[in-house]
Amino acid sequence: MANGSDGLNWSKILAGGVVLMVMMVISLPTLIVLFIGMLPTGVAAIIDRSEEKYGTFCVGGLNLCGVFPYITTLWFVDHTVNVATGMITDVFTLLVMYASAAFGWTMFMAIPPVIASFLSVMAQTRVKTLRALQREIMEEWGPGVASTVDDAPLDAPPEAPHS
Amino acid sequence: MAEQPLDADEAGADLPEGLIPPDAMEEAGDLDTPDAPPVGLPPSAASSPPVMGQGPVLLRDRYLIDSGKPLPDLDCATAKAYAVADRRDLARKLYALICQPGLPTRLDAVRALKDQEIRGVLTVAEWDVITWPPIGQRALIIVYELPLGGRVRDRLARKEVKITEYDMPRRVVEPIIEGLQALIALGGPHRAIRPDNIYFLDEDMTQVVLGPHVVSPPGYDQPLVLETLERAMAMPAGRGMGDSREDIYALGVTMVLLLLGFNPVGEVSDDDLLQNRIEHGSYTAICGTARVPIQMIEPLRGMLNDDPTSRWDFNEITNWLTGQKINSAQKKIINKSKKPLTFRGKKHFSTRSLAWNFARYPTDAIKTINSDDFQDWLRRALGNKEMADTIKGALQAAKFHKDNYQGSDDYVLARISCILDPMAPLRYKGLAFMPDGYGPLLAVEWIRNGNPQSAAEILSHDVPALWFAEQPRMYRELMDLQKDLSSLRGLLGINDPGYGLERALYAANPSVSCQSPYVVRDCVVSAEQLLPALDGAANSVDTSSQPMDRHIAAFIVARFDEDIHPHLKALASNKAETSIIGMLSLLAFLQWKLRTPAVLGLSSWIGGLLGPAINAYHNRHTRQELERDIPRLVRKGSLPELFNLIDDAEKRREDNEGFEASRAEWLAAEEEIRDIEGAGDERLTKAERTGQQAAAMFAIIVALTVVSVLMLVEMS
Repeated sequence: MANGSDGLNWSKILAGGVVLMVMMVISLPTLIVLFIGMLPTGVAAIIDRSEEKYGTFCVGGLNLCGVFPYITTLWFVDHTVNVATGMITDVFTLLVMYASAAFGWTMFMAIPPVIASFLSVMAQTRVKTLRALQREIMEEWGPGVASTVDDAPLDAPPEAPHS
Repeated sequence: MAEQPLDADEAGADLPEGLIPPDAMEEAGDLDTPDAPPVGLPPSAASSPPVMGQGPVLLRDRYLIDSGKPLPDLDCATAKAYAVADRRDLARKLYALICQPGLPTRLDAVRALKDQEIRGVLTVAEWDVITWPPIGQRALIIVYELPLGGRVRDRLARKEVKITEYDMPRRVVEPIIEGLQALIALGGPHRAIRPDNIYFLDEDMTQVVLGPHVVSPPGYDQPLVLETLERAMAMPAGRGMGDSREDIYALGVTMVLLLLGFNPVGEVSDDDLLQNRIEHGSYTAICGTARVPIQMIEPLRGMLNDDPTSRWDFNEITNWLTGQKINSAQKKIINKSKKPLTFRGKKHFSTRSLAWNFARYPTDAIKTINSDDFQDWLRRALGNKEMADTIKGALQAAKFHKDNYQGSDDYVLARISCILDPMAPLRYKGLAFMPDGYGPLLAVEWIRNGNPQSAAEILSHDVPALWFAEQPRMYRELMDLQKDLSSLRGLLGINDPGYGLERALYAANPSVSCQSPYVVRDCVVSAEQLLPALDGAANSVDTSSQPMDRHIAAFIVARFDEDIHPHLKALASNKAETSIIGMLSLLAFLQWKLRTPAVLGLSSWIGGLLGPAINAYHNRHTRQELERDIPRLVRKGSLPELFNLIDDAEKRREDNEGFEASRAEWLAAEEEIRDIEGAGDERLTKAERTGQQAAAMFAIIVALTVVSVLMLVEMS
């Protein structure tokens, strides 16, 4: 592993730096819009301490939805620094980008309780089903079936007379 | 001594307290209220009115016994006689004896004697247990050949016949001796030889026969004078079977009474007669003042000899009858002391006299036994230091065991009594019996007197061992007897059904009827009669209780010749279902083995008690199926089928396997429920994590969709 003593992944940083340098050379306007527009995702990545980074993915995904229309405008209309600067200085554009990120965060906060409630209901239903099964078994075999200690079997019956 | 006519000895005059005399049995037919119920009879059974009345009853579809035609001249002390007509042979002259229910009889002898024509013995034509209307319950009835000449004693009293000392050997003694020898060969002595029990078989009064001897325990009906000295000291029920020597003694006394025509000791009280016999010997005490024909003196001395080993036997009597040389009877010298010992104001010169009186007055006896005078008398006056030392040792042992029964006055007195008079009966807590009379004694004490406590203690405290320990010689019969009593003691020590005092009662008395309150009125004497009797009882008893009590279990073990220990083991179980199945299996085995016809009442009774056995099955459907099938089998009256239904091994195996599988399934469900319910915060965290994952997935999918759509739109 290339982890340093301070825990930083220098390989990734180096790779990111190379990509950043390449993009600055060949696609600076896109880089400007992405850097400013995806700031909420960067913040989310910093504050999301979980291993899976679900929050980052959630914010990032929707943040990208708000940023990508402007990226396509740059790519297919006028791919210049001026246009990019104009976009990132336009309040409405920033509102769209950051609102989509905010929606992603809202979704990340709202969906888990809903899912938990759903799973809880599922568990309750399962418990009810199992209880019903147990009642049915007890009705069929008597309360002795619920004992956890082995009952001694009935004493061996005497020799059966033959009718 | 005043002379007493022979006919002064009324039948049943010496009956012990509690015994129903024959007259009472006769009057039972006229009573408006039934007899008091036997001891232990439950209210339901006791309250069922017995069917009383008069009229003929049929025995074995052949012998018509008319309860309206009593034959008082043929009554025995404990059995009434009635006229009998043989439906297949009207010319045959018979009569029937109705035995008293609850009194042990000699059923084994009845079985052996049936249809045996033995010279000198009245022939038993038939026997059975049937309902006898005058007493309203079943009783053992024995049909005998009618002695046409009547009682010898009565004929003599009416002077219709004369038997001289010259007639006596051939006319009386010879046939009787022949009969006695045949009886011994068949299994036992007569033990009821007395003047009023000898009959003329023919009207011409040429054939003399011995009368019935099987209607009561051996020696039970005998007046004291007709019992050998040792057995005369015992209670009537405890006199024991003895052997031919007892019969020879009784025959000797009978000869004296017949020859004299009166009882020379008739007015002497029993106690005085016994005391005289102890002090002077039986021959002297009985014949001392009577004019015994000179030619009879020697035989009578021989037959009345108090020493059993010196008493005449069959050989010597035969020698006498055939005119051969006879040995003169050696008079046994009674070991008397030089000086008397005074006990309760009377002087005693012999240990036998003392032992007998000690048993009569136990409180005073203990004081005397512990006194120095008694020891001095034994050592100096009697000169028996060995006996004195033995008694001293016994008293020291009693002090050592003062905290248990071996230190009790009763036990000490029983032991001292055995030491003083080893040949005398065992004496314990007011009971006096010969060891071979223990069975009838227990039966009479329990059934007739309702108190078996002392009799039971005799076994549990091993009192007979005291008697056996003092016997000068242990011959084979004594060893067998000791073994039998030890066996009874072993049975008494087990508390399970089929054992205990009940088992001892039936083991020691082969003819005692089952004393269970359910069937006591049915006089059940064999295993074959038990199920029909229980079947009949089902209509009158409380059927919420089990039809198997300790008496019935013990009776079956004693009378049913099959191995039923597995059934008894199940019956003794603490589990209700196992006990019920044990009871059913035992009765079913009985019905199957004895080929007993359908017992509808009993099967219905048992069917109502099978709840615990049915509930032993786990499966509800199986139980419902059993409950549905039981009424059908109950209506068939077949206990084996009922048992097979309840205890089907295959069905039980399936039930157990199904139960185990269901229990495993139940446990698996329980574990899953506990997993679900016990997860708590962990489950919440897991749900949140799942929600976050779902949100992330959703966001990525939306992003990819948006990117893809925009790219397509711009590129198109």
